[in-house]
Amino acid sequence: MAGDSAASAPGRSGTRPERPVGRQGADPGRGRLFEGGLLQGGVQGSPVLRLFMRWVRRPLLPVMRLWRRNIQLRVVATTLLMSLGVVLLLGFVVIGQVRNGLLDAKVKASQSQATGGFAVAKQKADDEAASGGAGGATGSGDAAADADGRQSQSVIQWMSDLVESLSSGGAGAFDVVTLPVGDDSGGGRSPRGSGNVSPTDSVPGDLRERISDSTTAAQSYTRIVYKDGKESQPALVIGKQVNDPNGHPYELYYLFPLTQEEKSLSLVKGTLATAGLFVVVLLGAIAWLVVRQVVTPVRMAAGIAERLSAGRLQERMKVTGEDDIARLGEAFNKMAQNLQVKIQQLEDLSRMQRRFVSDVSHELRTPLTTVRMAADVIHEAREDFDPVTARSAELLADQLDRFESLLADLLEISRFDAGAAALEAEPIDLREVVRRVVGGAAPLAERKGSRVRIVGDQQPVVAEADARRVERVLRNLVVNAVEHGEGKDVVVKLAAAGGAVAVAVRDYGVGLKPGEATRVFSRFWRADPARARTTGGTGLGLSIALEDARLHGGWLQAWGEPGGGSQFRLTLPRTADEPLRGSPIPLEPKDSRRNRGLAAAGPARGGEEKRATVPVQPGGGQAPPLPAHAAIAPHLASVTPAVDPSALPGSGARVVPRPTGGTRHPGEPPAHGPGTDTYDARPDADGRKDPSEPGEAFRGR
Amino acid sequence: MGVDREGGVRHRSGRAVVFAACGVVLLAGCASMPDSGDLRNVESTPRQDTGVRVFAMPPAEDAEPSEIMQGFLEALTSDDPQYDTARKYLTADAARVWRPERSATVLANGPSVVPDREPAGRETTGSLSYVLTGSRVATVDAQQAYAPADGPFRKKVHLTKDAKSGQWRIDSLPQGVVMGKTDFQRNYMSVNKYYFASGPTVGTTGQPVAVADPVFVRSKVDAMTQVVRSLLSGPTHWLGPVVRSSFPTGTALQKGVSGLTPDDRNTLTVPLNADASRVGQAKCTEMATQLLFTLRNLTPTLDSVELQGPGGRLLCELNEQDAESAAWQASAQRPQNLYFLDGKHRLVRLSTGDPTPATLPVPGPLGEGAKELQSVAVSRDEHTVAGVGADGRSLYVTSLASGGSLGDPVVSSQGARPEDRLTRPSWDAAGDLWVADRNPDAQKLYVLKQGAGKPVQVTLPSLPGRIQDVRVAADGVRVAIVVEKDGKQSLLIGRIENEGKPGESPSVLDLHSAAPDLEQVTAMSWAGDSRLLVVGVEQGGVHQMRYVQVDGSTIDGPAPAALSGVKAIAAAEDDRVPLVACSEDGIVRLPSGAQWQKVDKDGTAPVYPG
Repeated sequence: MAGDSAASAPGRSGTRPERPVGRQGADPGRGRLFEGGLLQGGVQGSPVLRLFMRWVRRPLLPVMRLWRRNIQLRVVATTLLMSLGVVLLLGFVVIGQVRNGLLDAKVKASQSQATGGFAVAKQKADDEAASGGAGGATGSGDAAADADGRQSQSVIQWMSDLVESLSSGGAGAFDVVTLPVGDDSGGGRSPRGSGNVSPTDSVPGDLRERISDSTTAAQSYTRIVYKDGKESQPALVIGKQVNDPNGHPYELYYLFPLTQEEKSLSLVKGTLATAGLFVVVLLGAIAWLVVRQVVTPVRMAAGIAERLSAGRLQERMKVTGEDDIARLGEAFNKMAQNLQVKIQQLEDLSRMQRRFVSDVSHELRTPLTTVRMAADVIHEAREDFDPVTARSAELLADQLDRFESLLADLLEISRFDAGAAALEAEPIDLREVVRRVVGGAAPLAERKGSRVRIVGDQQPVVAEADARRVERVLRNLVVNAVEHGEGKDVVVKLAAAGGAVAVAVRDYGVGLKPGEATRVFSRFWRADPARARTTGGTGLGLSIALEDARLHGGWLQAWGEPGGGSQFRLTLPRTADEPLRGSPIPLEPKDSRRNRGLAAAGPARGGEEKRATVPVQPGGGQAPPLPAHAAIAPHLASVTPAVDPSALPGSGARVVPRPTGGTRHPGEPPAHGPGTDTYDARPDADGRKDPSEPGEAFRGR
Repeated sequence: MGVDREGGVRHRSGRAVVFAACGVVLLAGCASMPDSGDLRNVESTPRQDTGVRVFAMPPAEDAEPSEIMQGFLEALTSDDPQYDTARKYLTADAARVWRPERSATVLANGPSVVPDREPAGRETTGSLSYVLTGSRVATVDAQQAYAPADGPFRKKVHLTKDAKSGQWRIDSLPQGVVMGKTDFQRNYMSVNKYYFASGPTVGTTGQPVAVADPVFVRSKVDAMTQVVRSLLSGPTHWLGPVVRSSFPTGTALQKGVSGLTPDDRNTLTVPLNADASRVGQAKCTEMATQLLFTLRNLTPTLDSVELQGPGGRLLCELNEQDAESAAWQASAQRPQNLYFLDGKHRLVRLSTGDPTPATLPVPGPLGEGAKELQSVAVSRDEHTVAGVGADGRSLYVTSLASGGSLGDPVVSSQGARPEDRLTRPSWDAAGDLWVADRNPDAQKLYVLKQGAGKPVQVTLPSLPGRIQDVRVAADGVRVAIVVEKDGKQSLLIGRIENEGKPGESPSVLDLHSAAPDLEQVTAMSWAGDSRLLVVGVEQGGVHQMRYVQVDGSTIDGPAPAALSGVKAIAAAEDDRVPLVACSEDGIVRLPSGAQWQKVDKDGTAPVYPG
């Protein structure tokens, strides 16, 4: 796994490629906001459009947010909408019914009125014709039939009188209009209208056509237009073709204004609108109140749950009554109680274990000193022993050295676990530290036949750091690199950029197998247990180094590829309290096999692919049969964050060395394992069986 | 402490109960009809005009000659302001010379159109004649004065066919318009113009006396402007010699003024031309008074008028109160008392302002029954009374103050029979007393200046019969005379001319009939500035009481409620004063909006001052 990045970088370095220091990318959380696609389309348009959409969207964002987060608002809004719909529907139905009812009544009354009027008009015409004929016969000569036999009786006054008498019956209730048959000036007749009605504008044309075609009455709706500037109003018009005294047809219309009906209807409309408004508002208020009753306890539960999840396990809901909400509260409280008890138990257990480890390490020192003195004596006198015994004495001395350093490491790491480690930061030049470390490792390198080179030390690399700890970290890294470098050169690279400084140690040895980059920091983990004996490492070095880096607020990360060597990178903030945002040195070196291949193939492929494309190598060849004590590491690591440092016994300074199991025989179970976990995990704790072990387990707490 | 808290709780719950009760009361108030409160004025909504309007239509293409005639006559009844539509039925030449405002002829049933019988063959030449026939009722002349008329109407109308367009048009027609009676009533309205009597003034105050001059204007065509123009153009011919107009000669509305309407303060602004702008303030007030009297006749809500000279300069302004003090108008005078003779022949009076009045004998000799009387007349200032003795032989004038004596008769009649002697006397606003002697041998009309002195004989024209009754109008320039001939009485209105010089006897001129359709007039009384209340019989009808206009037109408004056996009636010019009649039931009166009420069973000769 060439690109396997790991270790203590806080944040999300596992899911995205490293970025150079100095530039902060867009917040991905923001992009998720409209993943529903509400405004997604617009965002892809032209820049102007995008600006506009953003401008439109900005004031909406708080509303959308409130909408998504507030169930009460949603319920009230939905209730308002639905009740509005219902009220509108009901309103339309009721208004339609009332309108039809009003119109029906009006039409019936109007029809009977108009029919009566038509009969009166006919009667008057007949009477006039009879009396006019009689008058002509008596010889007055006024209205005689002329030579053609055509009646020439004057109907001008008669018709005006007719309209007046017909309309006098219903001042305001209806108006009467006469029109000549046919077009507007047919037969020299003029239209007549009562009540200032404009006859030709008020009677619709299709009604006139219908009337002139048939002798039956017809009706239509229209708008009465008034001559004197009065506002026009809707009306029912009923018309019929009637004959005048001369037997000439004319059209007689009754116009019934629908003013009263309109008023009634608008009264109903107003009433319904008012009532509807009240209903909607009241329903909204009711919904608000009801939902509040439900939502308030839910919100309380959510708040309590948040506080519980933040670790305040003693929080409880207030429970009143016996309803569903109360049951929820009770169940919730019970759950919280159980959780608290369980976590308390686990904490107690973990604390006991750590105290046990610490105590054991501490207690072992005293007997170890005695054993040490005895062993020294034996060692001094080994030349007097037979070869076998002499060999044993040498072995004893070696293993005692190892035992001592193991105990020291154990004490150190238990100090970290207890939170007792203190940072004594001061501005230091890392170049000096690096030179000291390289100088210290020179004998080993010489023995291994490799050379340690320092790159990037032209300029001072100054950071606020604890020189002792940084030196310990770097020594560990350099010694590891020399030991695993297989005689090849080791390169120590320094760099500073942004708010960070970094030291990377690169070797070209066997490298790391996929998944190992995360596991190298596990306690008692060894890449190659078979070779461990030669250097005598305790298996805790990198763990301590990681803790040191973390104490600085920095990162310690590993990269490696099988056969391509590995690189460990220590990144520290330039000032102690500054959070790290990136590292000046890429985790994967430029001369990695993959990068070289990429350089040949072209720079097209992104960093995201590297983890997926590097195949998991079969572990058979290189996998050592001897398991490291890997299994304990995740356990410890996962428990550690939950431990309250103050729960550790003492100040954490008193740490008892921890015995390690089976030093000579890797297959042998340890004498004092930390528990059955270790014992069970051992046969398959070769690292490859657990590729899913997340690197994140090591990262920040 | 516990007690305190308990008290607090009780207090709070009590308040809650009070609030709930208030809410319930409020809701209950909303849920039932209010039965008190909300006192406010009612704005008067104008009565809806239900009048019929004829909408004149221009002639159709290729209309028949008969259709042209029909359309033309219909257009005459429309309310087209300048008869523009009617002119479209005329040829261009005829339209130029046709003057519709020259006259209006009212026919009983509207004009009938009869084709003129012409020699055969003429029709093919595109020329056709029609005759408009009908029976005449009245005519309105160019001054808009109404005059009753009778006799057949027959006018020829000639149509030609336009050679170019092929349309029939009227090329010869009589001047003026012609229409039926009901159309005339729909389209025209009677308005009193007011002028001042040139001779008499009110005796005590010297105010000029307003004289009504009724004219007919087209009611739907900007009546107010028409009336103002008519007023400015001077009185009608009949009244002209006895009245004066305070408008200087040549006064007219400014050019282009039309559509005069009162503003929202009920003030009408009348812009006059330069001829009116040189008058003095007193004259201007008189002008405004004339205008206000005239226009209040048209719109009773009008409060004041403003006269404007050229350039919008305010000449003068006059409101109703000022107008009443500036001139004496009969219809604005409210008589204080009703007078009549009671069963004991005493003159008693009855306050008109009092709804349930008590009859009181007047002070003075007549109130004591000193002389049995036939009829009385009380002067308009109610200081003097004239009475005719029971035998009708003598006229006495005496004061209404107590302590006076009857004195000697001022006029005596030598008539043989009581009905041949003196008529009921009457007073005018100037304080002159008029009385007629019915003696068939020596029929005379006397006037007594200020009710005293030597009676002056008034020159009478030749009357178509014997005088039955004489009533002088309040203005003293018009007189109503009932004349009997062959058992039929007719009502005549005459003009009193004073010939200007004092000492010369006045004369009555230009008598015309005011009620041509009434055959018998048994009683009459002035009941307005230009209106009389008449009891009479129409041709073939029964006794009825009705109002007539002095110009002989009929009045639209309702007649008083019917009453049988009316022997005498008394009405005041102010129509707010109840009518009083002497009938079979004695003295009865008719308050407005009520039925006839009995006042005195035995009373006779009811009179209002005048």
